Amino acid sequence: MPHSSSLRFGEAAGTLLDRAFDARDRHRPSVPLPRIGIFGNGFPETLVAAAGGLPVHLSMGRLRRTTAIDEFIEPFVDEEVRVFLNRLMNGEFADCLGIIFARDDAPALVAYQYTSEWVRQGRAPKSVPPLFLWNLVHTATPAVMHFNALQAEKLFDFFERIGLRRPSDEAIAEAAAAEAGRRQALERLETAGLSGTTAMRWRNAGRFMSATEHADLLNAALVDTKRTAQKGMRIGLIGSSLASTASYEVFERFGTIVCDWQPWGAVWPGPGNGNATLPEILRATAADPSCPRITPTTAYRNALLQALANARCDLVLCQLAPTDDTFGWEIPALASSLERRAIAFINLGFRDTDPETWHARAATLISAKLEARK
Amino acid sequence: MTSTYVPLESTRIATDHQRGWTKSLRAQITSGAKYAFVNADTPHELFHHMGLPIVTNQWWSAIIAAKQLSEYYFDYMETLGFHDRLARYSSLPLIAELEGDTERQPWGGLPKPSILCARQSADDHQKIFSLWSERTGAPLFLISAPAVPDPHPEWWRLARSDWETLYRSDRLDLMVAEFEALIAQLEELTGRSFDHDGFVRYMEAINEQERIFEDISEILATAPRCPIRISEQIPNVMIPQWHRGSEWALSHAKRFRAELHERVKAGVSVLEEERIRMMWIGAGLWFDTSFYSTFEESHGAVFAWSMYLPFAADGYIREIKGDSLRALAARVSAMNEQLHQPPWINSWLVEQAKKYRIDVALMLIPEHDRFSGQGSLFAKKALEEAGVRVIEVWSDMVDRRKWNRDEMSARVSAVLDAVLAEKGV
Repeated sequence: MPHSSSLRFGEAAGTLLDRAFDARDRHRPSVPLPRIGIFGNGFPETLVAAAGGLPVHLSMGRLRRTTAIDEFIEPFVDEEVRVFLNRLMNGEFADCLGIIFARDDAPALVAYQYTSEWVRQGRAPKSVPPLFLWNLVHTATPAVMHFNALQAEKLFDFFERIGLRRPSDEAIAEAAAAEAGRRQALERLETAGLSGTTAMRWRNAGRFMSATEHADLLNAALVDTKRTAQKGMRIGLIGSSLASTASYEVFERFGTIVCDWQPWGAVWPGPGNGNATLPEILRATAADPSCPRITPTTAYRNALLQALANARCDLVLCQLAPTDDTFGWEIPALASSLERRAIAFINLGFRDTDPETWHARAATLISAKLEARK
Repeated sequence: MTSTYVPLESTRIATDHQRGWTKSLRAQITSGAKYAFVNADTPHELFHHMGLPIVTNQWWSAIIAAKQLSEYYFDYMETLGFHDRLARYSSLPLIAELEGDTERQPWGGLPKPSILCARQSADDHQKIFSLWSERTGAPLFLISAPAVPDPHPEWWRLARSDWETLYRSDRLDLMVAEFEALIAQLEELTGRSFDHDGFVRYMEAINEQERIFEDISEILATAPRCPIRISEQIPNVMIPQWHRGSEWALSHAKRFRAELHERVKAGVSVLEEERIRMMWIGAGLWFDTSFYSTFEESHGAVFAWSMYLPFAADGYIREIKGDSLRALAARVSAMNEQLHQPPWINSWLVEQAKKYRIDVALMLIPEHDRFSGQGSLFAKKALEEAGVRVIEVWSDMVDRRKWNRDEMSARVSAVLDAVLAEKGV
């Protein structure tokens, strides 16, 4: 079992989760498996595990130095794409057997296209691994379901090409069981009374390790961790991808984040990972309402509002990457829906490139709005 | 240096036709006739063939911008709580709809459409159309847009006949199935049956029209000097394109070709002494189309190329091969992507720049319309490597608020001065 060795050194499981989160894709799990890079939400990691690989998310890393591709990246391209492309061309993902990009995740498609073009032009280093575009369509017509099944076949061909095994039904069921275990552990995490900051860190640590190891570390950490009484307001966090501990800590000066519904929040791992058969995995993945491209289009906003209501939020904070061109279309309707439900809504606007400036501005804005509501 | 520029008779005829069509459509829809509001990269052919009039989002956007209304609407957009980095071109009609004062809008505004249709080529299209649908109650038909994983750089060489290889069978199967669902919805809406045999003939007529545009592109590219301004090129292509395959569109394309042919034969050109040939990359600068003639007098520089004409051939001609719906899917399934995604856009622009003997390219990069801006810097580099000077124009096709004509003119002039110096002029 890969998880046992990571716990046997006697370190607290929470510390191991924190360390994995801080290391991001540089984290080395206890039992080495062939690493498969993942860019974007919307890809069922179960399938990589069923093929004998370790899914490792590559979109949350940090940039050390830029490369020649940087001058081809327009300023409106998402920062995680810029960081990924430069790191990729720096050879930082040479240890991946392949990289899978989720087409319906906006940054992932651009990352795939720019990488492919750099490779086509012969400018990419040899360390760039084979690439695969996961072309899953997010709706449920028979034609789409057929199309999505074909994409899974293509994925399995890709696995074989890069040296993994073609997932059997049994392997899928086994990997799904591990994912179901992770899902249970994550449900415990969400209701454990921890800060939203810790929940975000421990949840996302799982993007860099197996589902089994993640579940075991979470379960162990939750045993070790004392439940603390939640203070202040019940906060919902929405908007663009965010995994900044410092930002979370600023928000949690005003309460506890109990609903984290941004792309790097509790919408991962996607639904379907814990389903036991390929058709069920594909069906649930295609119906994931957290995908902005879901059809019917109303599913996205409805699911978001439902999640906020289920978590009994009394304050919703919206924050945006400077490159947002999609979530912004939801804001006025969300604001009025939340107002009708008497939930405070504060749009913090675009994040500043300087974190300190942004945090100071966000804190001031939240204070002022809350004061005005008194 | 500038001869007295005489506009084409075709231009007057095209704009008169569009005005008349618009008036007639306006009369039809305000008296209760059904119409569809659709994005530019959707299968207009299906709507036309079913006899359901369409208003195209981007065309309507350009009309609003040309009426100098975009500034007002984009300011209003922010008062609604939409931030200022959202797409403009594809959202201007939505904002006008949300603003609600139909008297302010061209034609007194649009009534409620019977159906909305968008393709999910850009991430925000479905959001924008979903808001339209919420606002008007009109049903929304979305066409999915899975990506082409291995885009062939010289797509235009395969697209006409080997489209099955280029666009991939799984994508075409899906799109055909979605077309069939759309047809069923249109049949219900119109009470008519889809005439498959008639649709084959209609698709053949469109191919014929686009081949005429290909001839026209050839005439323009090979003429010793550029015979018309792109401000005339665009309406003579786009108005027939909005009505593609119709009797009028075909006859207009022929008229345009004949008039252009005569003009070249007679040695007529925009400039008597043409020194620099330019291309305008991206959608039109709809609120300031006279910008295109700014450098004629000062530098002998003429805009010879805009994407609309050559794309009519490369983006539209698809051999029918016994399956007209599948050929239509081949036309639509990467329509927008070919103009924005590397390597498709870079390779095509280089091919076009060589063909049109381009010296300088002005590249519109709409930073708040990301789908339209992506791949720009790859395209820029490819053009530069092909010997074309590229000037980045960070602006928007319909939002004039950030457009500074004097500043842009100065930037372009400096480059043109350098080109003239290089040429020893």
